[in-house]
Amino acid sequence: MTKEFLDKYPRNPARTLWIMKPVVKVLKLLFKTTIHRPVTILYPYEKMWVPDNYRGRPGLRFDKCVACGMCVRMCPTACIKLVDVADDNNQNVKRPQVNMGRCAMCGYCAEYCPVDAMTVTPDFELAEYTRHDLIYGPRRLAYDGINEQMEIHIEETLISDIENGNPERRISPFKTDRPILEASKCISCKKCEKVCPVDAVKMVEHGVNEKGRAILYPEFDDDKCICCRNCVEDCPKDALQINEVL
Amino acid sequence: MAYGSILNFITFDDPMANPFYPFGGAYNLPFDISYKLWDIIGGIIAWIINLIFPDNGVSQWLISAEVSNAFALIIFMLIIFIVVFVCTLLSLWMERKVLGRLMDRRGTMIGLKGFLQCIADGLKTFMKENTIPKKVDKMTYMWTLSLVIGTSVLIACMVPLSPRWFVVDYGTGLLIIMALFALAPFFILVSGWAQNNKYSLIGGMRAAELMISYEVPILIMIATTCLLAGSFNIGAIVDAQFSSTWFFIPQIIGFITFVFCATAEAERVPFDIAEAEAELVEGWQTEYAGMKWGLIMLAEYFRGYVSCAMIVIMYLGGWLIPFASAEVNGLVPEIVFLLKAWFVFFVMIILRGALARVRTDQIVNIGWKVFMPLSVVNLAIVLVLKIGGIY
Amino acid sequence: MTGEKQNLSIDNGTMDTDKMWVIMGPQHPFSHGLWTLKAQIDGEIVTDAEPIVGYLHRGWEKECENRAYPKIIPMADRLCYAASMTYTHLYCLTVEKALGIEAPEKAKYIRMIGDEICRVQSHLMWLAAVGTDLGNLTVFLWAMREREYFMDLNVRLCGARMTTNFTRIGGVRNDTTDLFDRDVLRCIDRFEKAVWDIIALIDDSSIFVSRMRGTGYLTREQCANLGITGPAMRGTGVDFDVRRDDPYSNYDKVEFEVPVLKDGDSYSRYLVRIEELFQSCKIIKQCVQKVNALGKSAPYRLKVPSKVPAGRAFARIEDPRGESMMYLVADGTDRPYRLKVRSPIFTNVSASKPLVQGSRIADVPVIMAMIDMCLGETDR
Repeated sequence: MTKEFLDKYPRNPARTLWIMKPVVKVLKLLFKTTIHRPVTILYPYEKMWVPDNYRGRPGLRFDKCVACGMCVRMCPTACIKLVDVADDNNQNVKRPQVNMGRCAMCGYCAEYCPVDAMTVTPDFELAEYTRHDLIYGPRRLAYDGINEQMEIHIEETLISDIENGNPERRISPFKTDRPILEASKCISCKKCEKVCPVDAVKMVEHGVNEKGRAILYPEFDDDKCICCRNCVEDCPKDALQINEVL
Repeated sequence: MAYGSILNFITFDDPMANPFYPFGGAYNLPFDISYKLWDIIGGIIAWIINLIFPDNGVSQWLISAEVSNAFALIIFMLIIFIVVFVCTLLSLWMERKVLGRLMDRRGTMIGLKGFLQCIADGLKTFMKENTIPKKVDKMTYMWTLSLVIGTSVLIACMVPLSPRWFVVDYGTGLLIIMALFALAPFFILVSGWAQNNKYSLIGGMRAAELMISYEVPILIMIATTCLLAGSFNIGAIVDAQFSSTWFFIPQIIGFITFVFCATAEAERVPFDIAEAEAELVEGWQTEYAGMKWGLIMLAEYFRGYVSCAMIVIMYLGGWLIPFASAEVNGLVPEIVFLLKAWFVFFVMIILRGALARVRTDQIVNIGWKVFMPLSVVNLAIVLVLKIGGIY
Repeated sequence: MTGEKQNLSIDNGTMDTDKMWVIMGPQHPFSHGLWTLKAQIDGEIVTDAEPIVGYLHRGWEKECENRAYPKIIPMADRLCYAASMTYTHLYCLTVEKALGIEAPEKAKYIRMIGDEICRVQSHLMWLAAVGTDLGNLTVFLWAMREREYFMDLNVRLCGARMTTNFTRIGGVRNDTTDLFDRDVLRCIDRFEKAVWDIIALIDDSSIFVSRMRGTGYLTREQCANLGITGPAMRGTGVDFDVRRDDPYSNYDKVEFEVPVLKDGDSYSRYLVRIEELFQSCKIIKQCVQKVNALGKSAPYRLKVPSKVPAGRAFARIEDPRGESMMYLVADGTDRPYRLKVRSPIFTNVSASKPLVQGSRIADVPVIMAMIDMCLGETDR
């Protein structure tokens, strides 16, 4: 390999009072740039082209969202909050609300959304007059012209897959990781059933205790589960944990 | 003259027939324009007064030769200043546009292809708060500023645009312009002391340092040109170039040196060490806020304009087109002069785009080791030419 | 200016002059960021200097102790705004070492592309700063224009211009998009021609060269004593580059030269950086070829456990500005116990006294520009 610049340039260019070459260069480029369009754009009138996967503000598909709270959990600046909002059938549901004044546009909410309801959008003009206006409610987060390019999927390869000679399989952690129960800690409080956003948890009776009450253990529907960790986090006795398939 | 016609008052006299005509035997176009303007304004006023109070003294007084002359002179000053002001704004606009295109951006974009940006900037600086720091020497702080701006505007107005467009037809015109031009660095030095700011102090010192290094060669080269032309009078220098060749051909060394010296005189980029914004925040202008700073910037462009005009007068044939007949040259010599001056300014803009700021020791080195010998060589060449009888 | 010394000693023919301290910064055109250089000047000559940093301290390291491992990546972006991918890369390398895994081949090459794009960006930003410090705006705008094309490459790669948040623990965020290789090669071909314009403006101009040559000397001994790394060190003749001598990622599988110059002044530091621009382009070209050879189906992101086993890990990479290191102490939870960052600039700026001593005050911006200050990582 060669040094492109240092080989072409002598180490000692001590040319005193030699300024003609830059002047000629500048004149040449002045001529060039005068007949071409300038590279700058007149911002408010013209806009820069941005690709679909440009990371502007987060967008939300209201109907797809299941209110699992994964975005709230992953947001590095804690700018997302789940708020109560009426859906199309006037039912009270929870949906994320983003405080755009704190948002760092990292795209984690879209990346870690198990159902791809959160997306990135190419919308980057977010200036408002008050701080209150910067808070984007669930309906305001919707973005017209949302498409698949704006979704971000996690396509991870398992280390075990590579060891087994199957390196081409890519899988999302939301499809492999499932909660498991440490039955001795469970107190049958049914909290996991209540917090599960996709109804994947069902309390199943496993006999009765000495006081005659039913012992209920959660059972997980692996097809429905989206690995949102709500049950793990809300378990009062830490009886549940996520089994990470590696 | 009771109830006389308006034409009795507006007579469009020849200003040169006025016994108080201030320019001797020379025809002066701006004075002619202003004299006729006052003829119209003063004539209408006098006519109206005469309608109300027939045969009064005021009407006669207003159109008398002395008063016409005095008011015409006031309008004359305004015309001269406005023309110079607009020319300076045009060169400012040109700098912004050319530098913009050179750097692959657009330059200013506000109105009339960006020209109105100058007005907007002026208005903006005028609306700013007039801050004066607490611990400056207020008296010196203000008068140095006014003198820097004042001398700059004065010399810009004193530059003649043509044989019919001048303020005063001095026999020593070039020398007086040069003397006023060289005054500003003294005021900058004093202003740097007065501001009680370390950056300003260093900036003021640098202005003095800059001055001692280019002022001597510049004077030698002016003397050389005057030697070649045989006169200090600007008109005579221009005429001498028309009858022989433009002076940059015999004095090519002097011409190149003078371009750089004039750049230094105007404190433009390769030599703007007095306000080097990279190390001294704004140099000697640091403590001047708002309107004062805006005027300083304007004065700087006035000085740039004067530098270009000096080069045009001394080396590029002034307002005359070579080999053209007297009728052609008599048409619009002012425009020819300004076009030449703007071309020189364009060269200065290119230099600004291509070069970096030199260091203080380098400018002293260049001034004394390069410019000074070159100007002496230039003088020697001209002496040889003059003795040999070629010029 | 009113000094206490009044004895203008006429006897030995010398004159006592008062020295004055000029405070440059934090609001000063020369300090690219919030830092202060106190310079003691005697007339125009600088006799002493003292850097003051810390205006931008935001408790980065402490903040990391309260965050899950993936959430630190966007923060690592903000360590250095000019070259964000290098710090995320460094952080991910450290955590991968603590986990005992290694990123897949493709991810390594993509990370290298990102690193080198950021190196070019950072060097171009430095070049722009050199232009303004020397009083020429043309260099600034031309360099910024070239930088814009590399910003566009960042957008194509990961959808963000500056704070890329691209590297992940165990790989990268996404595969290279379609036509990314074509865009990269076009951009680099264009850049390798266009940068010669800037070089013609600087290297062929005696004003630029004479402003940089012979100022801000630094010796090898001073480099060793002050811990100076990066292009500033390679300009003094120390032949060391982490990419070549302690290769991380796949830098041992690509060919590139490490420019080393012996003069030790500002100009040699400038030459080293310009040559690094070309070498970075070469590395990007090779990496693009290797990524294409690996194919679309190659893994680029490994699944990693969310909890890092207790232990310590250390990694270092070649930042555009020097050698940056991270030291991680993990305690078995999903949050680091301690994460220490060694920023090259924080160490390099300590050389400001030997660098500017004896030079003129007009040279201070140029000399300090050769350090390439970046306050995000210095103050953390």
